[in-house]
This record gives sequence, C-alpha cells and structure tokens, in this order.
Amino acid sequence: MGSSARGLPRGGPCVGAFRGEGRFAPTRRCSLVQPRATTATVLPRVFVTGVGVVSSIGLGREAFYRSLESGRSGISPVASFDASQLGRDFAGEVKEFDARDHLTNAERRRMGRCSSMAVAAARMALRDAGLQERQLAGRRTAVVLGTTMGEATILGELEHDWIVGGVGAVRRSLIPKYGSTLLPIHVARAVGAEGMVLTLPAACAAGNYAIGFASDLIRGGRADVVVTGAAELIQELQFSGFVRLAAMAPQKCQPFDLNRQGLILGEGAGLLVLESEAHAVRRGAQVRAEVGGYGLSCDAYHITRPHPDAAGSIAAMRAAIERSAISPADVDFINAHGTGTKHNDAAETKVVHELFGDRRVPISSMKSMLGHCMGAASALEAIGCVFTLETGTYPPTIGYETPDPECDVHVVANAAQRGKADVVVNNSLAFGGYNAVAVFARPGVLPPAGAP
Amino acid sequence: MKPCAVTGFGVACPFGVGRAAFLDAARAGGSATPRSAQASQRATLQSFDASAYPGARVVEVPGFDPAKYLGDKGLRSLDRLTKLLVVAARLALHDSGLKRDGAWADGAAETSGIVVSNAYGSLEAITELDRVSLLEDARYINPSRFPLTVANSAAGYASIWEELRAVNVSVSDGNCGSLDAAACAEVLLDQGRARALLVGGAEAMSEALFLAFHKLGASEGGALLGEGAALLVLETPDSARARGASVAGEIVGYGTSFVPPEREAALVHPSPEAMARAIESALSDADVPAGAIGAVVSGVSGLRAFDEAELSAIGRVLGPEIPVVAPKLALGETLGAGGAMGMLSALALMQGAAQFPHARGPAAAPPRDTPRSVLVTSLGYYGNASAVVMRSPNTGR
Repeated sequence: MGSSARGLPRGGPCVGAFRGEGRFAPTRRCSLVQPRATTATVLPRVFVTGVGVVSSIGLGREAFYRSLESGRSGISPVASFDASQLGRDFAGEVKEFDARDHLTNAERRRMGRCSSMAVAAARMALRDAGLQERQLAGRRTAVVLGTTMGEATILGELEHDWIVGGVGAVRRSLIPKYGSTLLPIHVARAVGAEGMVLTLPAACAAGNYAIGFASDLIRGGRADVVVTGAAELIQELQFSGFVRLAAMAPQKCQPFDLNRQGLILGEGAGLLVLESEAHAVRRGAQVRAEVGGYGLSCDAYHITRPHPDAAGSIAAMRAAIERSAISPADVDFINAHGTGTKHNDAAETKVVHELFGDRRVPISSMKSMLGHCMGAASALEAIGCVFTLETGTYPPTIGYETPDPECDVHVVANAAQRGKADVVVNNSLAFGGYNAVAVFARPGVLPPAGAP
Repeated sequence: MKPCAVTGFGVACPFGVGRAAFLDAARAGGSATPRSAQASQRATLQSFDASAYPGARVVEVPGFDPAKYLGDKGLRSLDRLTKLLVVAARLALHDSGLKRDGAWADGAAETSGIVVSNAYGSLEAITELDRVSLLEDARYINPSRFPLTVANSAAGYASIWEELRAVNVSVSDGNCGSLDAAACAEVLLDQGRARALLVGGAEAMSEALFLAFHKLGASEGGALLGEGAALLVLETPDSARARGASVAGEIVGYGTSFVPPEREAALVHPSPEAMARAIESALSDADVPAGAIGAVVSGVSGLRAFDEAELSAIGRVLGPEIPVVAPKLALGETLGAGGAMGMLSALALMQGAAQFPHARGPAAAPPRDTPRSVLVTSLGYYGNASAVVMRSPNTGR
C-alpha cells in the first residue's frame, strides 16, 4: 500500500510478516500485555515527509546530512557562559543559529532561545515537506514535542534576578516565557496548528517519546499531520550539574571506546513532519521514511544509572521491533544512544547482544559529533535514521580509537559506511530509567500495521 | 476514545491525604480555604516563609508528613514534588487493590506504569542549586540533588519507589496537562503498553512558584495557589472486570484545542473559542449529547479573564443552566495537577453529596441531582484548552 504515494520507492517484501512473529505474538522476556483485540482493521501508515534541523553541525536537512556523511564534529569550547572554573569547558553549542534569520521580530520578543530553535526547525521541516505556512492550519494538525528543560535560560535569568537582586528585581515580563509547555504552543502558532499541543519531558528519551506518541495520534485517527521532535539548549546549571556528577568528558565524546571519559553536552532542535499515508498521498508528498513501532519501558532502578542487567532496555527494544511486525534479523543499523559514559555504553552493548546474538549489526552514535543534546538527542538521531534510510549511509562514530571488550559491537568507526538500509532502530535509554526505542524504515518495507 | 475505568485513586492535596480526606472535605463543602488563610497569616507554611508577602493566598497539603506513608528511609534525598507524587502513587495502588501491604497483587509491576503531568518541574531543587551556584560557587552544587532538577525526575522516582516497570510518561501542558495525561493513557492502554496506569498530575509549592504567581498579580486578583498530587488508576474495563476491581467511574471522552491570539505580540491569552472547541470534541468523542452532562467541574480559579472565558465557553456549549463547580476556589490552582483534582472532584460529585464552590458565585444553582455524566474542563494560559467527559459506572447510553 505504501508504494502508491508519488515519489515512493517501490514497496519491498513484507519482511518478517510470515514468520509467525506477527506484531502481537507472545514474547520471550517482554511481559507487557498485548493490545486490546478489536477488529482486523489496517491502521494508517505514518510517514516522515519533512525534517528540520538546528544543530552544531549544520542548519537544515542538507547541511546536517553533509555533516553526518563527513563526520563533522560540532564540539568546541563553551562560549555562551564562563565555564573556565568548572573543570570542563567543551560542548556542542549551536553557534551559527541566529533567530533573526528565521523568526519575526514579534516572535523573537515573545519566546526564549529553546522555542526559537524549535520554531526555526519547524519552519525548515515544513519547507522540506513542501508545505506552505498555514497549509496545515486547523484542528487536524497537532504539535507534540519533547524536551528536558525547555526554556532553561529564561528560568536561569529569573533565578538570577531573584537570588542576586531580590524580589523587586524579578522581571515580570520574563515569567510567562518560562515553561516547557510553551515549545509546542509557539510551534503551533508558527504553523497554524489548532489540534493537540503537548510537551513530553522525557529527559534524554524525549524525542522518541514525542515521535512515538505523534505516530499514535495519526494511527488512532486523532490527527492527519503532527509536527513533532524535540528541542533543548545548554544552560549553565545543567552544565555544572553534569560536571558535578562526574559524567562529563574533557574535550571529546568517544562512545564504545575503551578510553571513553563520559558525555559532552550538546543542544539543538530536530523537528519532523509526520503525515498519515492518506494525507501524504493526497497532496503528492515526497515520503522520506516510515515510522514503525516503538517500545517504552522503565527500569524502576536508579535515577541516573541504567539497570545493570539492562532488562528494561531490552524490553523496549524488543517491543519496538515486534510492534513493527519484523524480527531482529530485519534490522540493518542501530542509531545508538551511545552517550560515551562507562555505564551506558556497556549496558547498551548488553541490549544489542541480547537482541541480535552473534549477528554484528552496524551501530553508531551521533553523540560523538553532536554531544548529548539531552531532550533533543533522540529527535536529531531520528533525523539521522531518516538520513540513513534515504542515503544508504551509516553515520560514523568519530573519535573511535581503541575497542573495548566490554563494548564488543560493530561500531561504524570514524568514517561513514554504505550499507543496506531498509530498517533502522533508534535507541534512547534515558535518565530516570526511561527507555524508548523507535523503528524507522524505508517506505513500504514494513508489513501493514493492524489490530489482530 | 475507548472507555477507561477508574479503579482507585490516591491524592495529597489541601483537603488532606488519601481518599477519605478528599471525599470528607468534598462533602463538607471544601474546608481548605479557611485553613489556608490562617496558615498564610501565621506564615507557617512548610515550604517557605510567606511572611515576606503580605496578602499571600497560598494553600498547602496540611501538615504533610511523607514518612507516615513511605517510612523514613531514603526521604532525605527527595524534594517535595517527588514526595507528594510518590505518596499519591502508593495510596492509589493500594486503593485500587493492585497492591496490598506494599506488595503487588500478582506480579503486576511489569504491566503497570504512570502518566503524570507537571507544569514547572522542581523549582525547589532548581532554586536550591542556583543559590549555591550564584552565591557560593557552581563547583559546590550537590550532585545528589542535581537529578531532581530534571523535569521527569519525580515520575522516575515514583517508578523506582513503586516498581512501575511498564511505561513512564511525563506530560507538560500547563494546567491542562492532567487531562492530556488521561488522553495519553487511553492510547497507551489501548495499545497494550500497560494493563494499569497511574494517571494525573503533581505540582509542589515553592517560593519560586509563588513568586511567579504573585508577580503576575494573581493573588491580588483573588486567586489561591495550591499544590498537591492526584493520581487515578486507569484500566481498560475488561481488565478491571477480569480482576474483580471496583470501578468508581469511567473516562469516556477527551477533546483539546489550541487557538492563537489575534494580536501578534500577545502570548498569554484566554481563548473561549479553544475552550468551546475542546468541550465539543470531548462530547463528540464520548458520543454523548450536551444534554446528558449533569454538571461541569471547571478550572475556574479566581483569574478573572480566564474564568470569564471558560464560563462563557461552557455556557455556549452546555447552556446557561448547567451547574458549574470550581474546586480550585478551595484547593487552589494546582497547575499540572489541576485537571486530576478536577477528575477526583467529578468522581465525588457522581457519588453524591459533594459540595464544591460554585463557579458563578455562591448564589448559582448547585447540581440538582447526583450527576451521572460530568465534564471536566481546563483552560490554559496560552490559547490551549482541554476537556474530559466522565460518567458513573454502569451508566447506560
């Protein structure tokens, strides 16, 4: 059915559909209950038809894709505040973004930098999807975004006013600009959306949460189009906090490397236009990728450390694959969570081994280039998945020097690789034990999604 | 939406802690306001010293003592927001029979999750670290307190304390968030991502939150700032029936809408249009006619422009005679938890004998009979609005 949209590659075979591993088959370890049995309807496919990027390695899809292909690093000395005394002073700051290039004066006055990046990325995504502004106007368009802290710099300014200057110094006009609630409000205004506006603050898994829930809104018939993704910025307090947690590397992030020293913070916004198949076909949209199933779980173990046996992450990844009606054998590439911390990369390796056994699926972490963009990380990585599906290219893990026996995985080391790219998996295993894993596929490759 | 059964709830709010405290106070007409007035006059709030703010209108969970519910161990590392949420979660799980004496009834940890709304995160923890950072040195901030500053921290801790291993979702949509959480929960239950979900919201009192509210002129206008956590246990009617759970009510419809302001420079704006659309789509989602709604639990809170917009939308869709109550006039504005407090108020109304303040003033008509279907509304500060339809169990169509 997917191949009927103009510009679509021909639908491939329905991978895994006839192996007795249908999407609702009982699972080995994942004990989540099965979906409610209803009628045997086929649910609408959900397509990515546009992407928008504000990142430390480029603005817009084309620049971002070029950087992923060439393995460009966006990590540099911190410039937005004085980090010289903190013992760590590198980050993936977005330095080439100027809100004046993307927003009206009135828009800039009413929003903080995090929302500015989100609105700019939304406009790029709309253009990329071939949509004019206001074309999405109405109640059938929703905006669902992820973030960790939203307008953290606005809050930082308010706190500074108050703590240093006292109650009288607090600028009243700043107060309504704070709150993670605002991100989708500003984006909805920019694109004309009048349906659901929602923020899912799911820490470093927020992007996958938002994209997953957005795809649910479309599959469930609650929206035709959802502008989704995530945005995050680096703020001084969070930066200091990560330094104090001893989680931060000095100058580079080296996921899966024996000598990895931790994460590097990053920032940015990654937004995607998701459309129902019918909507995309009707307007003759170019389809970039299909959103498959996704899996969620919670470790319920420790607020900052992953569970040592990785059971929650395994359950989430397995659920994402099963809910896409495919099997692990169909997965061509893993876009890793890969933070570059000792704990995360070792735990993620366990997940990969558990799911794929001896098969060495190529895996790579974009955090080596972007740093860890917190709430925005998995949204930017989802766009990385779209890149892989569109170009048949796996982005590299740069700075990879020494293999770690504890991270015995097939790392796409230092240079991009070409390879089969029908189905890719986007991992995020976040703070708070939040695990969210999403599958993206070349349009038409996945079996149709339907209730049993 | 497909109906979701409410099989229990847990609450810590200005009425007190637990089911009985909430329902008793509701029957008595909401006794939180006088207590709060005394509290703020005496400046004996738990969370901050209100004596610096004459005329402060604040109400807390009275004498909140989390150790009574959670034991002493491990509480020191938590902030007020987390403690409120974990207490509500524990009470809700026991109220629904999913847990007994702290243990899961039948290994339900793997199939139970939480969807919780919060508007502003832990301003308490953020302020604590900012004080150290700004007045001393950023290198001295306490790393064990840092995780509390992250927006989904309270929900993460609730999962750890209560062993909720299925989904854990945090939602932020200002004071509409709790109702949106119910909509998310329906999707998650329908997809089999969990069998039981704790659904609602939490917001904690802090000086920073109060200061923002105060600076914006809310207390002068007569609005009361509250706090608390409220979680409903939602299950599909089938799974509730299968385990023989008692059902207090059902959530049967949801609607939401966003309408931008006409003025380009405006940001904050009450939109009667968004509220009316949200109500209409909730009714149509529930497939109930406007005439079937017996009462409305509104978000009316004492912010005049917002109250007028909400009431005019309610009147427009449901007629001028519809009884409208305003629990926030007693419980305070609890922001991210507001919709969940509203849903509990709706359950109380459907059980009969509950008396909440009337949104159109003391002279307005009280609900005539015990309503069988209740609409819960929330109007956001930025042009967003959400609404939910609840009904008594076993209400035929």
